[in-house]
Amino acid sequence: MVKSVKYIKFIAFFALAGLAAALLFLFDPAQIRALPLCPFRALTGLDCPGCGALRASHQILHGNLAAAFRLNPLVILFLPFLGYYLFRYCFAALSGKPYTEAVVRPVFIWMLLAVIILFWALRNTPLYPFFCPVNP
Amino acid sequence: MFCTKCGTENQDNSWKCMKCGGVLQHVPVSGTEKEGNIPNYLVQSILCTLCCCVPFGIVAIIFAAQVNSKLASGDIEAAKGYSRKARMWCWISFALGLLSGIIYLAIQLFSAAQGNRAAP
Repeated sequence: MVKSVKYIKFIAFFALAGLAAALLFLFDPAQIRALPLCPFRALTGLDCPGCGALRASHQILHGNLAAAFRLNPLVILFLPFLGYYLFRYCFAALSGKPYTEAVVRPVFIWMLLAVIILFWALRNTPLYPFFCPVNP
Repeated sequence: MFCTKCGTENQDNSWKCMKCGGVLQHVPVSGTEKEGNIPNYLVQSILCTLCCCVPFGIVAIIFAAQVNSKLASGDIEAAKGYSRKARMWCWISFALGLLSGIIYLAIQLFSAAQGNRAAP
């Protein structure tokens, strides 16, 4: 019973992720005018660490890693880690074992936080390659 | 088994913790009691920070770091508490991101409709 619920969750997760990826592959968010602007940017006029992440994901799906890096370097940086966690999740779901969290030393998470906050600050400067290109 | 006071791993048949001397309680260890099984929601909080554009994702990352800090020092109960907080802030971040997106879209549609009416 529990196992079948887990499989359903697993399949639902991949169906949703696949649908999102297919939509993102077909439509370039940079071209869609109706897409809502990030609320943080709309309110403050500032860039946040996630600015350009959706456009970068579109570029990654098309294999343009350089273009994606230009839009949001953090997404490229996190890609290997996301892949690793996805692998762990898949392994746990398919082998039937309970999912266990990867044991990460806390100092790495604090460093990650520092990187995100530093990146946030640098985004709002004209420094290359941190500032986020606006839509043409 | 692990000492419930200081978190030190002891031999399964011992009754006293070799580090702090506390009495070990032989309770069956369920799946969630083990170190790796307390989720820190790190990936979820990073995704919320990047995708939901709400700085609350940062709060979730701070709690995720606290989970691992507490696990490293052996404080399982505190780690569980921070784990719940990390999950809560992930959901808050996600919900606010979704909500603000919907509100923003609604405002845009509304102003577009107003614009159409005003146009000759």
